[in-house]
Amino acid sequence: MADSSQKTLRIREFPIDENPGHTYLNHEKGILSWLFTVDHKRIGLLYLGSVILFFFVGGMLALLLRTELLTPAQSIVDADTYNQIFTLHGAIMIFLFIIPSIPAALGNFFLPMMIGAKDVAFPRLNLASWWIYIFGALFALYSIITGAVDTGWTFYTPYSTQTGTSVVSMTLAVFILGFSSILTGLNFIVTLHKLRSPGLSWSKMPLFLWSLYATAVIQILATPILAITVLLLAMERILGIGIFDPSLGGDPVLFQHFFWFYSHPAVYIMIVPAFGIISELISTYSRKTIFGYWAIALSSLAIAFIGFLVWGHHMFVSGQSELSSVVFSFLTFFVGVPTGIKIFNWVATMYKGSIDLKTPMLYALAFLFLFTIGGLTGIMIGALSINVHLHDTYYIVAHFHYVMMGGTVIAMLGGLHHWWPKMTGKMYNEFWGRITCGVIFLSFNMTFLPQFIMGSQGMPRRYFNYVDQFQGLHQFSTIGSYLLGVGFVMMAVYLLWSLFKGPKAPSNPWKARSLEWMTSSPPTHHNFEYTPVILHGPYDHHKPMKEFRMGVAEESESPDVIEIDKDPA
Amino acid sequence: MANQSVATEKKSHLQHHFVDEDQQFESSKMGMWIFLVTEVLMFGGLFVAYIIYRAWHPDLFYEAAQELDVALGATNTVVLIASSLTIALAIRAVQLDKIKAAINYMAATILLAGTFMVIKYFEYMDKFGKGIYPGESYTYDGLEHEMAANFFSIYYMMTGLHGIHVVIGMVLIGWMIIKAKKGLVHSGYYTPVENTGLFWHLVDIIWIFLFPLLYLID
Amino acid sequence: MSHHISTLPTLLSVAGALLVLTFLTVAVTWINIPEPFNVIVAITIAVVKATAVAMFFMNLYWDSKFNSVVFLLSILFLTIFVVITLLDTLFREGGLPVY
Repeated sequence: MADSSQKTLRIREFPIDENPGHTYLNHEKGILSWLFTVDHKRIGLLYLGSVILFFFVGGMLALLLRTELLTPAQSIVDADTYNQIFTLHGAIMIFLFIIPSIPAALGNFFLPMMIGAKDVAFPRLNLASWWIYIFGALFALYSIITGAVDTGWTFYTPYSTQTGTSVVSMTLAVFILGFSSILTGLNFIVTLHKLRSPGLSWSKMPLFLWSLYATAVIQILATPILAITVLLLAMERILGIGIFDPSLGGDPVLFQHFFWFYSHPAVYIMIVPAFGIISELISTYSRKTIFGYWAIALSSLAIAFIGFLVWGHHMFVSGQSELSSVVFSFLTFFVGVPTGIKIFNWVATMYKGSIDLKTPMLYALAFLFLFTIGGLTGIMIGALSINVHLHDTYYIVAHFHYVMMGGTVIAMLGGLHHWWPKMTGKMYNEFWGRITCGVIFLSFNMTFLPQFIMGSQGMPRRYFNYVDQFQGLHQFSTIGSYLLGVGFVMMAVYLLWSLFKGPKAPSNPWKARSLEWMTSSPPTHHNFEYTPVILHGPYDHHKPMKEFRMGVAEESESPDVIEIDKDPA
Repeated sequence: MANQSVATEKKSHLQHHFVDEDQQFESSKMGMWIFLVTEVLMFGGLFVAYIIYRAWHPDLFYEAAQELDVALGATNTVVLIASSLTIALAIRAVQLDKIKAAINYMAATILLAGTFMVIKYFEYMDKFGKGIYPGESYTYDGLEHEMAANFFSIYYMMTGLHGIHVVIGMVLIGWMIIKAKKGLVHSGYYTPVENTGLFWHLVDIIWIFLFPLLYLID
Repeated sequence: MSHHISTLPTLLSVAGALLVLTFLTVAVTWINIPEPFNVIVAITIAVVKATAVAMFFMNLYWDSKFNSVVFLLSILFLTIFVVITLLDTLFREGGLPVY
């Protein structure tokens, strides 16, 4: 905290209002009070709504792709349309859904609450970040209307400088979306540094926040490179500046360096927040202190750092020098170390815990299973020789869907269920939650496991047609994707039902120990009616709940007041 | 806080989620520094392109740089250093509650920035006159090297992006002058002026690197 | 954290030093220093100038050290970007990519 002088804090336990009449949801009324709110909780919900919308759009495009792949020849769309659809699927899912998904939606909502702050450091910047995001989305929409993009989400030159599709407006959309991402990251870093409550030292920060911190660091350091890359690409198309275009003396491989210097760390922007959610879920539903707190916290930062050293493993067949291929392959294996540390610590946390298989915990277990497959196949394709064989095949497609969807999306669903009572004040139906989790888990594997097999047999990615031998596996995968769609519809139904008809949520339905559960559900406008004082760690399940409800006492005469020396960490 | 007594007399700018003015000030400044990091890295991308092309074609950079006017570049460097000084003096004046002096220093900064842009304009016009345009429109035949256009593409990208930042800086400083005239900044609250100053100094730092890298190749 | 107010002599002498260094960086081009030392000299002078601006104009010298760390991080990651990319561009089998 800013005040470094030692002073005595008077604290007492604050009871939680289980039936709050005044919450952030009814604090102000009307659509404008939402669109121009500076409340981090409402902005979090705005983001949540937006990313769910784009997940729906991207998912529909994916189902179109899968439907087209039912037959080896043309089924429903022509080849050019197919190229545009997979580009849009990738670009929407990455830039509009998965990058803002966990940090900007759940992170925005819970980061200030978890540190006992009233808001993020720059609330107006936070709102601006959402508006910039919407503005970027409109640009992307414009590019779709004016001819879409068929370059793949990676915009590789020289094709992206030659194709007749509207690459410029799409790259500008990406540029704008990058701004939004930077503002969120900037806000989170400053908030975590400056706005922690008394007693909330770095060692008492929930691991979700450590992961958001690491994510924000990557957002700050990597996104500007994306900005300059897409700017140069746009200039390449408008002026023909010849930095990336070989016909003008440029170097297309240099574009890939620029692009992946952002986009590989961006992979960790997508997955590291998911790690944070899993840490919360596993500890809470095992009723046990997290095993290896510092190992998990610091491994997030380690991943953030190592993530900047390995981008060239996307470029093993691009024509980069052999030396750099070898170095990149070598460095890539190091990513596995901090990731493995996390997995082992999660499993160790569950050991001898009293595991409660609630829906969020089921998602956490699904995450462990799916992400381990995604991660280990990542180690395989990080090996130079194997990569040359599997490069640009469905093996890669399956790998990153296991990481991004089996990892990030599954973790986000777990987090969504975990925090649903806190955000909405309503309980969802546990039975349907578990059933749906099962449907999604099984259909996800149905969709993407066959793709590993096809890839290893040589089915190239992004192909419109394929040889007949793959038809069975493609059809199996397509049926899986339809079931996956059904799973999400089931989820939408019971979550919406809970909004209107669901039973009222208590303040702490999961008996969690972190700070966001120590206020009413849904929270009041300022999160807490008092300034929280933190004496224990966020996973101290062995300590009585009331010791977590401490706050600065205004009235010192109160009998249950205890005095402690304020020790600002 | 050095000027606590002054601060309490003026209107409070403390937002509800901060504990005190110091925490708010430190937060804003940290936020600004983090933003500057993104600026450094964005320009950094161009520097990387520069380094790689210079490593590939040292002769190109030697030849093409002769077309650039060292005298104008050096003048612009001096102008920007002077503007950095005036904005630093402006911040000092605000901290001492000499608002009138601060406004004058900021006006001088805008004037110097304008001078920079005017000189840059004449440099660009001189190049355009010869047919030295960025990219494919390049028609100048005074240079032997087949990739001469690529050097000037990098030149235009770097100085162009820098020029845009100079203009943004001018707008920001102009905004600060309005704030100062309205009495919204003073010794107890000068965060926006401080952050604008940080931005302006960064624009100066980037030019400090652009000048030797583009003009002084021999 | 108290607010630092720079003294007039500090600001003026830093500006003076920057002007001298600007003159110096132009002047060294008049004597022909061989490659690659001319680049090294030019960059060294630029780094000294930038450091002076950052420390005394941008007040990093008096500021919270975290802000300096933040700023240096940007330089560190830029260096990583340059060095690793050069591992490719300087070591391509086919020599220079001339088209």
